[in-house]
Amino acid sequence: MKKYMMITTLLSVLVFAQTKEKVEVPYVAFPIKMGKGFDVIQTNCLMCHSFGYITNQGRQSRKFWRGKVDKMIVHFKAPMDEAAAKASTDYLFEHYGNGKEE
Amino acid sequence: MERRDFFKKAAVVAGATALGSTTLKAGITQQPIDNRKVSLVAFPEKRPLIMYSDRPPLLETPRDVFTSVLTPNDQFFVRWHMPDIPTHINPDTFTISVNGLVEKELKISLHDLKTKFEQVEVTAVLQCGGNSRSAFKPIAGGIQWGSGAMGCATWKGVRLKDILDHAGLKKDAVWIGFNGSEKAAYYETPNFIRELELSELDDHVILAYQMNGEDLPYLNGYPLRLVLPGYYSDSWVKMLSNITVTNEYKKLFFMDVAYRVPDNNCECETHEKRAPKTKPIKKMNVKSVIGYPTRNSIITQKSHVVVRGVAWDDGHGIKDVMVSTDSGKTWEKALLDDGKLGRYAYRTFRYSFKPKVLGKTTIMTKAINKIGEVQPFAKDIKWNHGGYKYNGIDKVTVGVV
Repeated sequence: MKKYMMITTLLSVLVFAQTKEKVEVPYVAFPIKMGKGFDVIQTNCLMCHSFGYITNQGRQSRKFWRGKVDKMIVHFKAPMDEAAAKASTDYLFEHYGNGKEE
Repeated sequence: MERRDFFKKAAVVAGATALGSTTLKAGITQQPIDNRKVSLVAFPEKRPLIMYSDRPPLLETPRDVFTSVLTPNDQFFVRWHMPDIPTHINPDTFTISVNGLVEKELKISLHDLKTKFEQVEVTAVLQCGGNSRSAFKPIAGGIQWGSGAMGCATWKGVRLKDILDHAGLKKDAVWIGFNGSEKAAYYETPNFIRELELSELDDHVILAYQMNGEDLPYLNGYPLRLVLPGYYSDSWVKMLSNITVTNEYKKLFFMDVAYRVPDNNCECETHEKRAPKTKPIKKMNVKSVIGYPTRNSIITQKSHVVVRGVAWDDGHGIKDVMVSTDSGKTWEKALLDDGKLGRYAYRTFRYSFKPKVLGKTTIMTKAINKIGEVQPFAKDIKWNHGGYKYNGIDKVTVGVV
């Protein structure tokens, strides 16, 4: 094993942050389309991410949006039942869909 | 878990990024979207950048920044995965833990990191695997980044190897897991952890506390992040809190599901027929981006224009950058900087020419690395479902008056 290298220094190093107080991340309202199922989107998606995540995906198929909803449930553990999953997929496809089922 | 309160608060400013429009036909990779505006909102320690999301923060660097080797900290792109990022870390009490298959478990303070180990610097490009994703058609899943989900900085810190040597690896150590401090809204959501095989780690891998001579900005991972030169940024864990040494690979979402490309020679697939096997994106391919002029520049006929930009790869080094000012018919070598910041840094290039024709002129750049890999035309880049690793020849069309 390589020998661990110790550098001793007589200088006392002051550790201080460039930001002394808590940083404030701004809140931004991302425009989002209103319509059937929006309440489900508002309840479930905003817990983890802004609407920017939705609107900056580009227009996508129903299968894509269902896949995203499933990813949130399976991998990110969003507590959504099948009715909520279906309602969000319908909403996303209606407003941010490309018209294709697949 | 309690509903996060920040979404209930009134929004400060509306300033979302609208998706740029493209007109080329579907199915052929195009130039990434290049018409997004800088947001009106400035995030902590940052100038206003192109914004895709506030939580988690996703910020892109505008093209005109890419004319110098080092990307300023306040213009450096930002990409997080979870909504809850610590907004205050006390540098006097912060420690990084090293545990698992080690002889001696460690908790190292920032002060000890800065004084008890050899201090090293590496200049390296940090690029999101999904940088330029908006080039892919059909639209690939994920944030539709333009070409600015990248930057290059001089990172200062301590070699990972020195830390591991200090802890003493046990014989059966194979994997190193890196854990960041960002948190999900639900306890059940997997943490952002990366695992790297010991054999992948060389002396260039460092734990960095400094970026371009300053503390890391919060949004770039204060107070400590992993720096893995040559690798895409998904491996560069921010706000590093824990290093765990193991003998077997743990299944992880961000390693096993996200950030993967088809495991075949072309790393490609079609929308209809997905590749059955995938692999992690890992190392960067050869690429160049033009910083000046931009689509908003107006240049004067017969004036001396100097095209500037940056080129990089995964550390083999850039050999040449070729420039065309006639839509790709003829190419000439650009001048490269002296490369003294090393093989993981941007090489800046410059190329002077006199625009002859009034109207529009298209400038293209093509990087070639030292093992002969050439940046391909956008149209020759094949699709992958995650829209990763786009490296098409860059193209800017400017008005000549």
